[in-house]
Amino acid sequence: MNTETVTTSTKQTPDQAVLESEQRYKRLLASVTDYVYSVTVEAGRAVSTFHGPGCEAVTGYTSNEFERDQQLWYRMIREEDRPAVLQQAEHILRGEEPPPLEHRIIHKNGSERWIRNTTVPRKDSQGRLVAYDGLVYDITERKQAEERLRRAHTELAANEEVLKRTLEELKAANKELKETQLQLIQAARLESVGALAAGVAHEVKNPLQTILMGLDYLVPTCPAGNQDMVMVLADMREAVTRANTIIRGLLQLSAQTDFEMKHEDLNASIRRALNLVKGQVIASKVSIVRKLDAHLPPVKMDRGKIEQVFINLFINALQAMSLGGVLTVTTRAGQFGENLKVNDAAFRQLPQGQPVVLAEVQDTGTGIAAAHLPKVFDPFFTTKPVGEGTGLGLSVVKKIVDFHGGGVDIQNAAQGGVVVTLVFKAEPE
Amino acid sequence: METEKKRILVVDDEPSITRLLKLNLEQTNDYVVRAENDSEKAIAAAEEFQPDLILLDVMMPGLDGGELASRFQANPKFKRVPILFLTAAATKSEIYARGGKVGGLPFLAKPVELSAVVACLKQHLGDGSKK
Repeated sequence: MNTETVTTSTKQTPDQAVLESEQRYKRLLASVTDYVYSVTVEAGRAVSTFHGPGCEAVTGYTSNEFERDQQLWYRMIREEDRPAVLQQAEHILRGEEPPPLEHRIIHKNGSERWIRNTTVPRKDSQGRLVAYDGLVYDITERKQAEERLRRAHTELAANEEVLKRTLEELKAANKELKETQLQLIQAARLESVGALAAGVAHEVKNPLQTILMGLDYLVPTCPAGNQDMVMVLADMREAVTRANTIIRGLLQLSAQTDFEMKHEDLNASIRRALNLVKGQVIASKVSIVRKLDAHLPPVKMDRGKIEQVFINLFINALQAMSLGGVLTVTTRAGQFGENLKVNDAAFRQLPQGQPVVLAEVQDTGTGIAAAHLPKVFDPFFTTKPVGEGTGLGLSVVKKIVDFHGGGVDIQNAAQGGVVVTLVFKAEPE
Repeated sequence: METEKKRILVVDDEPSITRLLKLNLEQTNDYVVRAENDSEKAIAAAEEFQPDLILLDVMMPGLDGGELASRFQANPKFKRVPILFLTAAATKSEIYARGGKVGGLPFLAKPVELSAVVACLKQHLGDGSKK
């Protein structure tokens, strides 16, 4: 209990003394934050309760009011907390010493207060419960502080969640920015390679024509039995072919505007491209599996360029299956991101729900090392032996597909080999 | 019995190419070839040579192959003479994609083997090119 030392002045009039006494009492009352009550128990039942004078400060009700109305103590308890208070009373009436209970009461002025109610049994010499005392502390301020702290914690947790989300969004934006930057660098690199190629390729073709025609002239004149000369001439022809392959790739990279876009059947282009690599397919002992959707919507595309895309992909696949295997070509139609799920990063330019046509070229070859996957579309990047690849095939594929507003993704298939996924916007039929 | 050899006018600003085309085609004994490296003189050369087929380079200084082809086609003496382009300005796949023709005329993409040139000549000259 809070206490205050009380002094009086001998020079005061009785009225002044009374007034001052009342004021001091009010101040005292205002500072009191706890009080004592006693409950008399007979035959295990509470028969009367006495509330100490401090009760007015905590509850707003005087001792007399509690004495006149023996149920007041119960009614002032907030309804939701009454069962716990009754339970505490039951425990004490059974002679137990229940732990202190914190609960709410409604102050006489209508405000809500929190109190801590500690009960202590009083027993006679035979150990029978004759009364119990209760000490009531007003813990409203502490509870309010706790509530403020709890809200602050909740707010902090919410803020932390917002911060975490913002951080994740920032990370995602940063990742996207980096990918876009890489794509821009890649595009710039392709453009510069393309521009350079366009400048030199035409100039190189004429000398190659001269060498090739020269070989055509020399071969019939080669003396019979001169195997060395036959070999040299064959090597020269092979060299011309290789040089021409590189130039062709460079020219395809540099081609900017000569696309003839028409509504075409993607399946038909795939069949023609397969037909063009028929010789290599037979030589490589690879079997072809076609899973072509017969009801594909048309795609606006340059037929020749798209056939070039598939030829490049088929040749890559065949070269990856030098010991034989299965080349599976699949097409199907769908709505992007809905009934047709693909690796989104490679197809970011396509809106969700866009009607699309998808083509997959899958081999059962050796796959691509994970470290090489991000580089496969770089011009001149190749893992093939010298003379087998120019490193331009996939660059050309990407350039052509990009021009069509589509997307291309290349991944190692779960069951081995590589799967290349192409997605094109579908046109209305 | 020997049929008359077909007369081919080859116009290309690269002397090495016209020289080797002439050597190779004439070696087959099916063709007589006139090589011309100056496109401005090609019409006059044709007037004199009276070709059965004209093989034109596309990118040439002065008069380019396209313009020269237009002039031949506009000339009543040559408008029925087949014209074949031999060009470094397109790839084989591009030409294939366009059915072997650009602007309605057949194209061969450099570098091209003699056998492909001969096959194309036969196709556009008809059966008469063979002995």
